Amino acid sequence: MSIREKLLDFKRRLSDRKMYSIVIVVIAAVAIWGIIQYRKVADLRQELDNQYNRAFYDMIGYVNNVETLLIKSMITSTPEKTATILQEAWRQANLAQTNLGQLPVSQPVLANTSKFLTQVGDLAYSLNNQNLDGKPLKDEQYSTIEKLHGFAVSLNKSLNELQSQLASGRLKWGELANKGSRLFKKTSQNMQMQQFESIDKTFQEYPTLIYDGPFSDHLTTAEPKGVTGDNLSAEQVKEKVVKLFGEDKVESVEFTGKNDTDPLKTYNYHVKFKNAPDDEIATIGMTQKGGHVLWMLHNKTVKEKKIEMDKAKEIGRKYLEERGFKGMVDTYYIAEDNTATINYAYQQDNVTIYPDLIKLKIALDNGDIIGIESKGYLYSHREREIPEPKITEEEARAKINPRMKILSTGLAIIPTDYKTELFVYEFKGKVNNNDFLVYINAETGKEEDVLMIVNTPNGILTM
Amino acid sequence: MRKAKIALMIILVMLLVSISDSRQYIAPSIPILDLNSEGPDVSDLQQRLKNWGYYKGEIDGFFGWDTFFAVRDFQESHGLEPVGIADSKTLMAMGFTKLRNPRTVYAQSGTGVSEEQLLARAINGEARGEPYEGQVAVGAVILNRTRDPKFPKTIAGVIYQPGAFTAVSDGQINVPIDPNSSVVKAARDALNGWDPTDGCLYYWNPATATSKWIWSRTIVKKIGKHYFGK
Repeated sequence: MSIREKLLDFKRRLSDRKMYSIVIVVIAAVAIWGIIQYRKVADLRQELDNQYNRAFYDMIGYVNNVETLLIKSMITSTPEKTATILQEAWRQANLAQTNLGQLPVSQPVLANTSKFLTQVGDLAYSLNNQNLDGKPLKDEQYSTIEKLHGFAVSLNKSLNELQSQLASGRLKWGELANKGSRLFKKTSQNMQMQQFESIDKTFQEYPTLIYDGPFSDHLTTAEPKGVTGDNLSAEQVKEKVVKLFGEDKVESVEFTGKNDTDPLKTYNYHVKFKNAPDDEIATIGMTQKGGHVLWMLHNKTVKEKKIEMDKAKEIGRKYLEERGFKGMVDTYYIAEDNTATINYAYQQDNVTIYPDLIKLKIALDNGDIIGIESKGYLYSHREREIPEPKITEEEARAKINPRMKILSTGLAIIPTDYKTELFVYEFKGKVNNNDFLVYINAETGKEEDVLMIVNTPNGILTM
Repeated sequence: MRKAKIALMIILVMLLVSISDSRQYIAPSIPILDLNSEGPDVSDLQQRLKNWGYYKGEIDGFFGWDTFFAVRDFQESHGLEPVGIADSKTLMAMGFTKLRNPRTVYAQSGTGVSEEQLLARAINGEARGEPYEGQVAVGAVILNRTRDPKFPKTIAGVIYQPGAFTAVSDGQINVPIDPNSSVVKAARDALNGWDPTDGCLYYWNPATATSKWIWSRTIVKKIGKHYFGK
């Protein structure tokens, strides 16, 4: 039967009365199914829209509060009151930033707004700490707050403008989130993105902020202090890579590129090993200056565990010593999947220097070193002038909550969130069967940090 | 013939609808401001100029000579004609913009999953077929973002930022993972501080990247199929 005949036959059968009713029933069923699906989709979209609206309106509220709190912090008279207000500003700015991250606007569009909110919160927090110590704000700190307040005013204004457009239904989150139909997508999306870009323009000439907080601008440009030696060529450093793993084990080393964009310039290599499968290679980043290991990862299958933790710690310490890292002591470890990750810190004159940190990954089947991470060490290591502590151990001990039973004491240097260092007494102790580390400033007697030690089956964690 | 006409009509109607919908345009949100202008709009203008250091005087809502010179300086440093009048181009360059749409009337304004698991799933969705180094690198980028002021501060915040990762948008992040697979180890290494990217904040696949913007990033290195950049 030809196709034409088949079609004719089909038509004949269709014109049968019974067939009519069947066709109608089928069409009706499909239509009902379609309507149900459509409603479901509409419901889901509405729900999503509501979420976006919630995030947006919340953000406006929080930005508004930040603005008010900043101006208030400038007119309070007691440090305690200023501290309360700044603490609240920190909290509100954080909430604003969290909600900003939930808007369906691509990240680069609102990058500066996000940075502003983070820094306002961060700065308020650091000023708050200063206030809690009883030190009033300095003039230049007031002028920084004033500047930030100016930006908060402008941001608030732009957000309210946008809010009125949302309220009038001319902006729809669904369209922003790429859900618009093909015909409209291009124009409407561009339009709405421009709205957000214009908000971000408020920050186009935003000042560089430097203060004691983890998001301060000066931290991104920190110079590495622990990198010694001359600038070497990729070929020279390659030899160092071979030496690091041992000539007898390495089959080939391939130079894969360099990174010149950071303060710490690096060369990268892939290392193949003798008698090893092709995919079990090591990748390594070496500094161009001096050829130090910045990081190394050896993707190796680790078999049955044969080495105990204490032995592994010793293997790691020896490994570091043989490669010129003298005076490193293990401080913390975690073991998972027959692999131990051990932290080593530098020790100078019996003071543990936590910022000078090297991490080693050790395979517990044969003791191979399968990972190195030494960013901390390379950025901060140097021989330090360690002063005599201004307060005695007894005085420091007196600052500790009497409920803690002290087990051991030592001197240490600990890093802060903003890459400065503190000279402290380290007390290890117990309260109600929980282990704690308490750090008391060796110069001022201030309690700088309290860490809780969590013993897990895999290792010791500090919180 | 009749069918063709109907089809044509439908197409015409669709076109009309699309044209009328795209008849929105961007316009300055405040009127053009000149010497002796007064009011809250002038205050807004002065506030922004002051934020950026062009204007030193009081925010008094009066467009005097000091405001005039501040506007001129702004125009000069932004490649606009330095006339000292805040015209529509200048206002838009300063971010005073809004959508205009002639058709509408203005309304009144008024884990159950731990971090390691979550990170491993994100790596699985984004870099399943990549070499081990590339998997750690993707984890490291997510963690680097949590430490950058331009991004959310938590791992979940970064991963679920709308549109940030395709594996989240298309649901691949929910694919269950084998606890012994390499992505779990990669997540662990990234959490323990290993960063093959030297602090990168972005990565993209040059073969499938759709955003032109991403190419404005400094490329730091290439691992597997991905470019990593800042």
